[in-house]
Amino acid sequence: MTTATEITDTTVREATEWLFTEAELLDAGKYREWLDLVAEDLSYVVPLRVTREREAETDIVEGLTLMDDDWDSMEMRVLRLETEYAWAEDPPSRSRHFVTNIRVAAGEAEDEVAVKSNLLLYRTRGDVATFDILSGERHDVLRRVAGGYRLAKRVVVLDQTTVMTHNLALIM
Amino acid sequence: MSDAKGGHMLRDELRQTLEQGLRDVEADWTVPAAIINDPEMHDAERERVFGRSWVFLAHESEISERGDYVVRYISEDQFIVCRDEDGEVRGHLNSCRHRGMQVCRAEMGNTSHFRCPYHGWTYNNKGSLVGVPAGREAYGNKLDKSLWQLKPVPKLDTYKGLIFGCLDPEAQSLEDYLGDMKFYLDIVLDRSDAGLEVVGAPQRWVVDANWKLGADNFVGDAYHTMMTHRSMVELGLAPPDPKFALYGEHVHTENGHGLGIIGPPPGMPLPEFLGMPESIVEQLQRRLSPEQVEVFRPVTFIHGTVFPNLSIGNFLMSKDHVSPPTSFLTLRLWHPLGPDKMEIMSFFLIEKEAPDWYKEESYQAYVRTFGISGAFEQDDAENWRSITRVLGAQYAKKTMELNYQMGRGVYEPDPDWPGPGKAFPMDYAEANQRNFMEYWMQLMVTDPAPHSGNGKVSDDAAAETLARAEA
Repeated sequence: MTTATEITDTTVREATEWLFTEAELLDAGKYREWLDLVAEDLSYVVPLRVTREREAETDIVEGLTLMDDDWDSMEMRVLRLETEYAWAEDPPSRSRHFVTNIRVAAGEAEDEVAVKSNLLLYRTRGDVATFDILSGERHDVLRRVAGGYRLAKRVVVLDQTTVMTHNLALIM
Repeated sequence: MSDAKGGHMLRDELRQTLEQGLRDVEADWTVPAAIINDPEMHDAERERVFGRSWVFLAHESEISERGDYVVRYISEDQFIVCRDEDGEVRGHLNSCRHRGMQVCRAEMGNTSHFRCPYHGWTYNNKGSLVGVPAGREAYGNKLDKSLWQLKPVPKLDTYKGLIFGCLDPEAQSLEDYLGDMKFYLDIVLDRSDAGLEVVGAPQRWVVDANWKLGADNFVGDAYHTMMTHRSMVELGLAPPDPKFALYGEHVHTENGHGLGIIGPPPGMPLPEFLGMPESIVEQLQRRLSPEQVEVFRPVTFIHGTVFPNLSIGNFLMSKDHVSPPTSFLTLRLWHPLGPDKMEIMSFFLIEKEAPDWYKEESYQAYVRTFGISGAFEQDDAENWRSITRVLGAQYAKKTMELNYQMGRGVYEPDPDWPGPGKAFPMDYAEANQRNFMEYWMQLMVTDPAPHSGNGKVSDDAAAETLARAEA
């Protein structure tokens, strides 16, 4: 049997396929189905970064984030999109998640794998011929369950301090 | 186009639009759509509104230690806002006196000196030029360093932790500028013994919308909640009573400031004082005046704008659809980047000595409902960018006047309100928005005061500030 400390080709393939399936669901707006892929103890964080000098230990701000969700608040977002009044995404954006540079490592728990990936998220809205692009690195923890994986933790480190899109309404 | 006095003239057409707008806002309660998204309006606004008003720069807690700094903006001008080695708060134009290079290229940090990366001119955090590489060889003893300090922001002052700057050396004092708004600001800023702190740093993001739409929304618009935020009403995060803003007060003061103060609908069991922790409630009852306590007691929402572009949201709100509500406090700056673009800086603040459980709950309620990813705020940005796009077009600009007539003939000012300013007994009103727009238009039609025209208007004030600081 595969344990978390032993990353096999199969683990890498499964994790990669999971990320691609997830991207497909998100780009198709199938948020309810996406929620089924999420663990009930989800932690989903988009840190806040600032421009600092190189000598600073980190450019990630402590105490405040751009997004900090658990399962309940993520369900709130999905329920919101299911109402007829979520104007920020109705009409919906067209989005494409480009997921690359996938790196799979052992997780902290036996049934978990730590997956890093690079994300390029392309978004257009309405009939305006402009687009937004968000670039970032995702640090995920996928937990093995019967029949696949669940997303237990995600940290999305965006490559901007002043974010060039009018809201973070899309799940990254 | 410049006039003889060094200020910029308004084109006749622009002046006519604004003067007509001033008559209309008074007589018809309408506002010309042309003020929203127009390049010439924006150009004039930079000088006539942002060149004259007190603009929020930072909260003192962001620079609590000596040497701490943040870089902030008044219109396009950027200032290093720092606490110098003597503990004084300073604002320096972030531009080397030699060639104009930024001497600070980080957003925040701690330093005793700013060194220009171009040629190495070095300034201490009081703004004094203290180092010039090869100074003796290159300049002999002809360079009087005391004449080449970083340009200070012409006026800088602090009110209850809020640091403001003003580009007009002749402007009235910050105290006078805030006027009656101070009564209400104190309820938010001065209710605890240890005061507030900004947690982390502000979220910053760019929205392709005019900044006035954010200011207009926060200054008085409780009306949008039931439609813009209908999704959250359906999920139980906003009051289900579509008339909830009936149970509020709508108040404005001089200089364009205003706010709405809303309590719960009758029969809706919500806690007093925004449900703040007992320790803070005990402090606020001691610190605030009886009138302020009376105003604050039933409050569940406070929304307001300090003219021009600082808004306040102090809301009792659930972090999700299954949790009880917690209050949070956000300040935001609607920083103009153009007629059709702004940067939003959204700050989260909390009472320094609040219990940890409250700090955590308040943070979660804020970050999940407001700010860049907030389930409420997302829909506001969507509306404001749509308005901006539509009102930038020629036919819309020329022919549209916007309806600011809510409450006309419906109610009179509230004679029983315990606070200052002009108050109306419900928050379905647009008196604050008219007050904001009227003051904005008045500034726009007021030509710059005459000065020598050599661009050195701020030098005397600068030297004065420096002399005062060094005395």
